[in-house]
Amino acid sequence: MNFERLRHPFSPPESNVSVKETASEIPTHIKFEGIRRQALEIGRNRLLVTGALFTLAFAVVAGRLVELAVVEQAGEEARSSRIAATSKMRKVRSDITDRNGILLATSLPTASLYANPQHILDPKEAARKLARVFPNMDRSKIQAKLAAKKTFVWLQRNLTPKTQFSVNALGIPGLYFQRTERRVYPHGRIVAHALGLTNIDGQGLSGIEGYFDKSLRGTDEPIALSLDIRVQSILREELLKSMAEFRAIGAAGVVMDATNGEVQAMISLPDFNPNKPVTAAGIAGFNRVTKGVYEMGSTFKLFTAAMALDSGVARLRDRYDATKPIKISRFKISDYHAKNRWLSVPEIIVYSSNIGAAKMALEVGTAGQKKYLKRFGMLKPAAIELPEIGSPLTPDHWREINTMTISYGHGIAVSPIQLVAGVAALVNGGVLYNPRMIKFSNDQKAVGSKVLSKATSKKMRGLMRLVVRNGTGRNADVPGYLIGGKTGTADKPGPRGGYGSRRVISSFVAAFPMDKPRYVILALLDEPKGTQRTHGYATGGWVAAPVVARVVKRMASLLGLKPSQRTEKLPKPGDDLFIAARATIR
Amino acid sequence: MDLSPFQQSDMSIGQRLWQINWSFVLLLGVTASVGFGMLYSAANGSFDPWASRQMIRFSAGVLLMLVVAVIDIHVWLRYAYAFYVVSLALLVVVEFSGSIGMGAQRWIDLGVFTIQPSELMKISIILLLARYFYASRLEDVGRISHVFLPVVLLAIPAVLVLRQPDLGTTILLVATGMVMLFLAGVRIWVFVVGAVATIGAVIPLWKFVLLDYQKQRLLTFIDPEKDPLGAGYHILQSKIALGSGGLFGKGFLEGSQSHLSFLPEKQTDFIFTMLAEEFGLVGGMALIGLYLLLFIYAFAISLRCRSQFGRLMGMGVSTSFFLNVFVNIAMVMGVVPVVGMPLPLISYGGTAMLSLMFSFGLLLCVYVHRDVQIGPGAADGN
Repeated sequence: MNFERLRHPFSPPESNVSVKETASEIPTHIKFEGIRRQALEIGRNRLLVTGALFTLAFAVVAGRLVELAVVEQAGEEARSSRIAATSKMRKVRSDITDRNGILLATSLPTASLYANPQHILDPKEAARKLARVFPNMDRSKIQAKLAAKKTFVWLQRNLTPKTQFSVNALGIPGLYFQRTERRVYPHGRIVAHALGLTNIDGQGLSGIEGYFDKSLRGTDEPIALSLDIRVQSILREELLKSMAEFRAIGAAGVVMDATNGEVQAMISLPDFNPNKPVTAAGIAGFNRVTKGVYEMGSTFKLFTAAMALDSGVARLRDRYDATKPIKISRFKISDYHAKNRWLSVPEIIVYSSNIGAAKMALEVGTAGQKKYLKRFGMLKPAAIELPEIGSPLTPDHWREINTMTISYGHGIAVSPIQLVAGVAALVNGGVLYNPRMIKFSNDQKAVGSKVLSKATSKKMRGLMRLVVRNGTGRNADVPGYLIGGKTGTADKPGPRGGYGSRRVISSFVAAFPMDKPRYVILALLDEPKGTQRTHGYATGGWVAAPVVARVVKRMASLLGLKPSQRTEKLPKPGDDLFIAARATIR
Repeated sequence: MDLSPFQQSDMSIGQRLWQINWSFVLLLGVTASVGFGMLYSAANGSFDPWASRQMIRFSAGVLLMLVVAVIDIHVWLRYAYAFYVVSLALLVVVEFSGSIGMGAQRWIDLGVFTIQPSELMKISIILLLARYFYASRLEDVGRISHVFLPVVLLAIPAVLVLRQPDLGTTILLVATGMVMLFLAGVRIWVFVVGAVATIGAVIPLWKFVLLDYQKQRLLTFIDPEKDPLGAGYHILQSKIALGSGGLFGKGFLEGSQSHLSFLPEKQTDFIFTMLAEEFGLVGGMALIGLYLLLFIYAFAISLRCRSQFGRLMGMGVSTSFFLNVFVNIAMVMGVVPVVGMPLPLISYGGTAMLSLMFSFGLLLCVYVHRDVQIGPGAADGN
């Protein structure tokens, strides 16, 4: 017998076994025998327990492998065959995509549950069972429906496959499923107003869904819009930012292709979630871009300058007396950034002089102004493929005073989309294109009407660039992209007519690049409030111009428009477009 | 001490080599070869960059293992504490000046090669605990004061490794230590108290120590589908791959999940998934069978050993090896959270391979010296 092994057995079995034993004492042989056996047994037991547990763990892992490899694989096959079956089914309503084929609206097949109460054996029992499957439905209401003396009642629309399965599992006779579709808008709020909504039966109500309701139901081919979801989401984000910063009650924005009228982005805020039609109630469902008409304010001076230059009554270098406000009967026309001197046409635009604009308009005359505004598309509703179109508000009796106020954008209200289309014509060489929501296919060519001479258009580009370089629109400048534009800050009429409530609509309409305009952008904010950062100003130059700058910066890199490397040719003293250096106003 | 000649460790090197359990070595070679094949497949049918290097490392590992095996077991006993102290010192060094790889600070750069002290620590802990308990007397092990020191010595490196952060190795260290304490004869109630204390400690651990990515892994483990493109991606892709393998797999080099890179880390942590995708249930079972066989060998060697030191060391190595295999395979199948643990012998990785072969060397050393008696004074050179 070896005592050594006793001194380090696997384990003492219980605490009382070894109490009296100490190292120095030589214990009796018999006692050791008992302890030793017990100790060894415990030690061996523990080893075996450990080994058994580990082996068991191997078995668990092996079992899991079987489960994954055999059982779940079977489930996988069943699932894929189901998907294949549904994808072959023809959709009742076709998809809508953006210009690059990104899905904007699609229909998912669903089942809707209805009942024939005549076939229901026990309405009370059936209602009790159904209420368990549809926790949000009231049991007594279900029961009332099932007990009605009808042959058809809707119970629940658009069930998920799982709920459908649960209803089938109830095994209630008299319940039936109708194959239906549910319209889904993957981008949610980003494209809300432009797409519009369908009703629960899948009929288009508003937006593209409403305008193209028939053709959407007629074909399998998706409709490709001119919108670019990327530009759309950039514009929305930037407008939301500005709206939040200046606590505006609403905003609108458009990005349009100046060369063919394709609308690449259209945003009206506040917006709604088309996947939850209830959110479109009230003002959220209102499309400010096409349905809303607003007095645009100073952006209209662009039209005034264009008509004066194009009709030949004014040249760029001609000067107008803006030394003092104009008074006509009870009206007084004054300047916001008053210079109190004679101003050239570029100065009128850059300093945004109401007096100058009014005097120019007087030279064009009432008839001339009407003729040109009609050409620019300001006097009739915009022709765009949306059901929500606002009619412009024009004076019933177009007198001289109206001509003067209209010259700087008051006394006439147009929709933002009209303004954008008109400004596009000013800068693209003088061709007015109807704004459109549908992408041109490769073999189509945009047809527009000639409204201005090329020479006038070129002058307008110079003027608009000047506003951003030296004038009220400097916050819109992005180096290398030659942005040109015009600010607008229009007083909003109060609820009972009349102005002066200090509520304004601030906007900035721009085009870029000014050497060969490709895009026209409008940013408009409804009732912005000045902040400390803007020194209390809530003018177009402060609240809307930065939106345009940010949108251009982000969309240019996205669309691969490289900044121009050439240094811009600046007007020198003596040029028509030269403006004195101290022209630093905001 | 009057030990009989058979129990003395006076064998020559040749005798010791003869004593080595060569069938175990063969088994290791077979398992490692499966690894070479999978690494060849992971590189889309090329020995470069993984399979060739893995072969070199395995060869070096076998050499290391044999050297460790023929060294007199008394040497390991004598230097067990020193080994631990060095490993701990290296861990502390890595804590302050280790280089960072894959977001964790685990490596020491020695210029020629890098070492991972946490891998050394895995071996040190086994040696340390075997050394500590080999001569403990009956009543000592039963006393809580006797258990206190090894628990502390185990906790220090565990915390250091956890801070690196390397959750997988931490779990391995702690679990191996626990099993060894259990085998050494620590009372059951100590473990019960320990478990309760651990639960009490988990709450502050969760709040202050675990990093967001570790929490994320634990949370998505519960519901991986919650975040299929983010944190749950690994498990989900792995499960798809495992399921798609079916009974017999898609064939060597044909695993689409792995070869089209849906499966991340296919040459390291998720190599088992790749095997199961290419060779199916049968292949996966075969590998699990190989591992089980290796484990049974290791277990039998421990059981057969006559000295407490050898038995504890052997069980430590077996336990560590088992946990490594189990956690990795269970992890890729979604049974336990993804903690980042390679599959022993198969996964690509140098330090892990060498430290594993080192520990197998210890196991073989136990086998070679299975009949050697080790007295209480042996550690001090008597």
